[in-house]
Amino acid sequence: MIQFENVSLEYTTDQYALRNVSFILPDGSFTFLTGHSGAGKSSLLKLIARLEKPTAGDIIIDGIDLSRVKPRQEHKLRQQMGLVFQDNQLLDDRSVFDNVALPLIIGGYRYSEIKTRVKAALKRVGLGHRAYDEPLSLSGGEQQRVGIARAVVAKPRLLLADEPTGNLDADISAEIMQLLMQFSASGVSVLVATHDTGLLDTFDFPRIQLHQGKLVDVHAGAPRNRTRAQFTSGEFA
Amino acid sequence: MAIESGKSAKRPRPPSATRNPNPTAHQNTVGAHTTLAMSDSDARQSKAWTYSRRGYALAQSFRQLRRRKLASLSTLLVFGITLALPALIFFTANSLAALGNRSVGEESITAYLTMQTLDLDGAALAQRLQSQPGIKATRYVSRDEALALFNAQTQINQAVELLGENPLPGAIIVYPDTSALNESAIAQLASQLDQLTAVERVQFDLRWVKRLQAVLNLGRTIGWVLAGFLTLTALLVIGNTMRLELLRRQNELEVSRLLGASRSFLNRPILYAGAVYGFIGGVLACGIALLALNGLRDPTAELSALYSGGFELLLPTVSQLLMVVAGATILGLAGAIVTLCQPKTQFLQNRRTGI
Ligand SMILES: Nc1ncnc2c1ncn2[C@@H]1O[C@H](COP(=O)(O)OP(=O)(O)OP(=O)(O)O)[C@@H](O)[C@H]1O
Ligand SMILES: [Mg+2]
Repeated sequence: MIQFENVSLEYTTDQYALRNVSFILPDGSFTFLTGHSGAGKSSLLKLIARLEKPTAGDIIIDGIDLSRVKPRQEHKLRQQMGLVFQDNQLLDDRSVFDNVALPLIIGGYRYSEIKTRVKAALKRVGLGHRAYDEPLSLSGGEQQRVGIARAVVAKPRLLLADEPTGNLDADISAEIMQLLMQFSASGVSVLVATHDTGLLDTFDFPRIQLHQGKLVDVHAGAPRNRTRAQFTSGEFA
Repeated sequence: MAIESGKSAKRPRPPSATRNPNPTAHQNTVGAHTTLAMSDSDARQSKAWTYSRRGYALAQSFRQLRRRKLASLSTLLVFGITLALPALIFFTANSLAALGNRSVGEESITAYLTMQTLDLDGAALAQRLQSQPGIKATRYVSRDEALALFNAQTQINQAVELLGENPLPGAIIVYPDTSALNESAIAQLASQLDQLTAVERVQFDLRWVKRLQAVLNLGRTIGWVLAGFLTLTALLVIGNTMRLELLRRQNELEVSRLLGASRSFLNRPILYAGAVYGFIGGVLACGIALLALNGLRDPTAELSALYSGGFELLLPTVSQLLMVVAGATILGLAGAIVTLCQPKTQFLQNRRTGI
């Protein structure tokens, strides 16, 4: 569960990237984070991944108050999360397999475990046959799927995706979304930042809308897409 | 979660997957070939040890060396050559120190005996002294012999005839042990001799020894200062290389950090790279120093022959070689640490990543 309580973030004084944002995302939820460019979507994801620290308010993830996490422990927090970026951020100097293996190497897994998990994750995103190709030889959509495989290979409890379909055409975007939803269905909380309105129209999932750093709207999504615990917002509950 | 789904992929297709037309359609078409393709290309997979944290760091260090062969080679050469001189000084220090303790000419102490001492007693004393530690040899010069020697050099016959007796005392010439030939040892020996009742006066000449030692001391100081400067230079070279390495790897480091890498995981490849550079540079330095030493041997032997021999450039021992390699490795590590400790080279600032 992710809980924001009156969270504000100022990069420079009085320049609010986020202002008084409150909401609760239950476990296993799939949520869109929307808003215009500069609304603060990436900033919100950064706060969750502890890449930035809020200037005010509390962020509580699975009962852990992030402000109590020591800097030396922050990486452990990040190991529990999977991150997907717009420009997939694959490393060109190694194979697809090695790209996906990186979080497991970081996590200190045994080689046999790494091998099984990476192969399973690649198979899961439909790229089992490309394991030993170079990332640059893949299409944009395929690269993004590798990025997703990398994000989920270490079994994160939370998947954060920042414009995961930003560079892709509609069909491929839908494909990527389907994948993310599958992970949500298996219990991973998924938060997807996007301003792709086409995507939002196609998938009627709960969404949080930001405008100039403020939470301006909360949309519960189609009933079948809502998660058990009600999706709430501090201001709009 | 991911792994559940990963594992379930081995079982008959899970119901959740069939709901998604696109990916599954894709998977179904390639599914049959997947396992085959993977085992086929297993050969292209990196070695198993490179998938542990330390193995990964080490593999990354070597990978950089291999990828940029020319740049790495020139850096290593600079490092090796810079360290070669300190290594050379270190290797020759022992030989030079031995030179300081060696007899260059025929240093000797002359103990003039009292006039009353009989030839027999003088010879016996010389014999006795010879067996003492610190003394290589002694020679008794009787009064007559002294006069004969004297006569050969000067025309003193007439004066002696005038005096009616031999005015010269007997003497014992003491040759100190060459292995312990330094100023204080000689002075001590001289004062010991002086205390003997039969000895009237002791004379010795330390100019040679003093001069040689002064030159050697100066040489040694210059050598160590130079070695210090060059070692510092080597440290800077490594530090600079590591900074470049850090910049080159920025992307990898940023991504690793986002994937949950700890600080030590991020630092480790740089530290290992420093140690690897240091190690290889140290081996190169040893090689260059050995070549130089080999080149110096013949001229040294010639010089040594001119100065009545006894001086030889010794080849370094295995432990000396190992010490140089270890020192260079530590230096490389230090260079990496210095780089990592610098107020961040703007590394890990996530300029490229949106998140
Ligand atoms: N590192 C930073 N330093 C200073 N200001 C920043 C920084 N990152 C973001 N901002 C500012 O914070 C605000 C929110 O930025 P953010 O990147 O969160 O927006 P976004 O919703 O992700 O936009 P986009 O859709 O373009 O990615 C913007 O006004 C931006 O200029
Ligand atoms: Mg953004």
